[in-house]
Amino acid sequence: MAWILSKDRRKIYTRKITGFWEEYKRKKIGLLGLAMLMCFVFVGIFGPWLSPYNPMAKTRQAQIFGMPSWVTVFPQFRNLTTTKRLSISWNVEQGSEFVRGWGAVVGVQYKATTMENIEVKLNDTFSYLENIPPNEFFIQFAWAATEVQDIQYSLKLIISTPEGKDYVFWTQPAISEAKGEVAHVESINPFVIMSLGYKLGSDNLANIIFSQKGDYTLSLTVSLRPSSTNAAVLLQISDTHVFIAGHVHGVLGTDYIGADVFSDLVYGARISLIIGLLAAIVGTTIGLLVGVISGYLGGIVDEINMRVVDILLCLPLLPLLLAIVAIYGKNIYYIILFIGIFGWQGLARMIRSQALSIRETAFIESARASGASSFYIMFKHVIPNVLPLAFASLVLAVPGAILFEASLSFLGFGDPRVPTWGKMLQYSFSFGGFTRLAWWWILPPGFAIITLCLAFVFVGHAFDDVVNPRLRRRR
Amino acid sequence: MEKGRKNIMREYLIKRIIVSIIILYIVATLNFVIFQVVSPIKPLATVIDPDFTPEVRDRLLTIYGLNEPLHVRYLKYIKNMFTWNFGVSFVTLGPVVEELSWRLPTTILLLGSSLVLTILVGIPMGILAASRRGSKLDVLTIGAGLFTWGVPMFFIQLLFMLAFCFYINIFPVRGIYSTPPPTAPLAYMADVAWHLALPLITLTLGSFGSWALYTRNLLLDALTQDYVVTARAKGLSERTVLYRHAFRSTLPPVVTMITLSVPGIVTGAMITEWIFTLPGIGRWYLNSLMAANYPVIQAVLFIFALLVIICNLVADLLYGVLDPRIRVGARR
Repeated sequence: MAWILSKDRRKIYTRKITGFWEEYKRKKIGLLGLAMLMCFVFVGIFGPWLSPYNPMAKTRQAQIFGMPSWVTVFPQFRNLTTTKRLSISWNVEQGSEFVRGWGAVVGVQYKATTMENIEVKLNDTFSYLENIPPNEFFIQFAWAATEVQDIQYSLKLIISTPEGKDYVFWTQPAISEAKGEVAHVESINPFVIMSLGYKLGSDNLANIIFSQKGDYTLSLTVSLRPSSTNAAVLLQISDTHVFIAGHVHGVLGTDYIGADVFSDLVYGARISLIIGLLAAIVGTTIGLLVGVISGYLGGIVDEINMRVVDILLCLPLLPLLLAIVAIYGKNIYYIILFIGIFGWQGLARMIRSQALSIRETAFIESARASGASSFYIMFKHVIPNVLPLAFASLVLAVPGAILFEASLSFLGFGDPRVPTWGKMLQYSFSFGGFTRLAWWWILPPGFAIITLCLAFVFVGHAFDDVVNPRLRRRR
Repeated sequence: MEKGRKNIMREYLIKRIIVSIIILYIVATLNFVIFQVVSPIKPLATVIDPDFTPEVRDRLLTIYGLNEPLHVRYLKYIKNMFTWNFGVSFVTLGPVVEELSWRLPTTILLLGSSLVLTILVGIPMGILAASRRGSKLDVLTIGAGLFTWGVPMFFIQLLFMLAFCFYINIFPVRGIYSTPPPTAPLAYMADVAWHLALPLITLTLGSFGSWALYTRNLLLDALTQDYVVTARAKGLSERTVLYRHAFRSTLPPVVTMITLSVPGIVTGAMITEWIFTLPGIGRWYLNSLMAANYPVIQAVLFIFALLVIICNLVADLLYGVLDPRIRVGARR
């Protein structure tokens, strides 16, 4: 069990770490960075509990480009409303002898006795009491007609306004076969708008229908036309969901499909932290190994390594990485790996120069004299000595990796299955966030990237100052 | 003495050019390996339908020169790259060189002017900050340096775009000139400047900080050296000490900084072209990636590398002029 440190060793390490912390504590900017970082780690870990909706499901929460709900404290936005979700349980007006309620479903079971046409009317009222009308709404319900025999049936969904105007919002033309569907009717559906006699583009149906405060009636008329005395039908109609989209929603409003922006932002923290840390660890490990091997062994190995570094330093990495991602697939693990693989040159040079000077020290010479192998010396003596430096550069490599991934995502080459901040910016850039001036959708991901990166930069610089005190003022 | 210097310079120049060509060759080889050897997608996947008959397939492969053995293709490829023959675009079916020739000027204009602007802003700021250590300007320089480290440039550009193209509509959102472009040469130049203003300002804003901070740190380091103390002790003016003694010695590393930052500027220019819809090779590259237009992708990667290598070569030459160890015996 060689990996368990001896008591003396442990003491030395404990002293080193406490000493480091004493020094670090004096750097104000480092403490600030650490506090910021803690916040992000907290958000990253508890993201699923902090965010109310799963960003991958992208469910609609309010109107498209809905503002954050806290804007209603400002007078010009005071009247803006939040989303209303209404559940309509149907009441029966006429023909009640055919109608039965089965929990959340209303059943119309018809068996003809005469050839008379029958109309069954279901309805329910709800009130809309906001000062301004919504910009969109939809109505959704499920219905099914079975056991259809010698009968024609049709359905009609009507919204009646407080002033008594009727809008036929949805119809099922008369048919005589069994049918069923989930009817989902949007106020922005062009067919609905045009069949009500309004103009596409200029008339907003939701604005027109909900232009008054008061009680609205939603009614569903079932018309039955039997063609023989054997006619029968069983119609089932579910409770109806009315979604009146709010102008405002949640902490950070909604995006181009009306989904919650805050959830996207919260989930992005975890992904960014994972990407940044993993890519930096990969890059730093490679840089450390290459640097130490190059610096300690020297000769032809060193020459080859440094030429590779030279070539990598003069390649524009983002275009190359974009090409690789485009070819090998937009997978987050590939992206992390590639960012790591292409991000070690600077560190390798720095570590190499350190290893070069360590190689000449007396303790390495004595180790060599006592017969230690190069491998042993590199791992036991050289690496522990350059480790603090590598660690500082690890912290400083994280923001680079985060920015890199953000650029990749922003250009549309991120993993489509992962909600990242770069992708939020890409979507807001390509799906109308700018023309609609959706600042609540554009600014948060950008500032989140900046704060997270700055947190790492602050910590890294404070760290670097402690372990690598080269720029202290001459007094 | 003069002759000796010339010889050394020539030797240095030739060495650098040979190294550049080798690097270019390696980049081209890498290009070939990535796109034509190990790529899991066949280069013609977008052109060849799986339902094509073998004869049609063969004919297409012959047209694009893809049914020859790998080593023949490789040799041809390298020859084509170095002779500026990039093949036929899969999308427009026209020669890549033609499309390249009207896209390249935009990119070079953007790259060159942003590089110059960055140098003109960054280095003087670093000098001033170092000469007034602890002043507000110094703090600002450190802040700008950290800002460059931690702020995605594309986000700055998006912010500027949101502010100056959408909230206050004073700059154009897209393109490099108005449609139709003005005919008078002066008006045309003004139009291009108007269109390039925002991209250039933001590109500079995103990169001058690191330059300023780097120059400042180098200069501060130089100002603590013994020769500066000596210069001061001689009674030279602070100005002379700063520019003649301290700053002069930081020039070679500053030139190295140019070398190292060019790939970043190329990347930045690519994203800028994407955001501001400029018809340069960066935007072309991204569109080609989305359309799997391999000849264009290979050509642009090659040209990006070439741009970087040319900048490095220029920087190396400057280094040769500036570094007294290379300018041996030039003064006396």
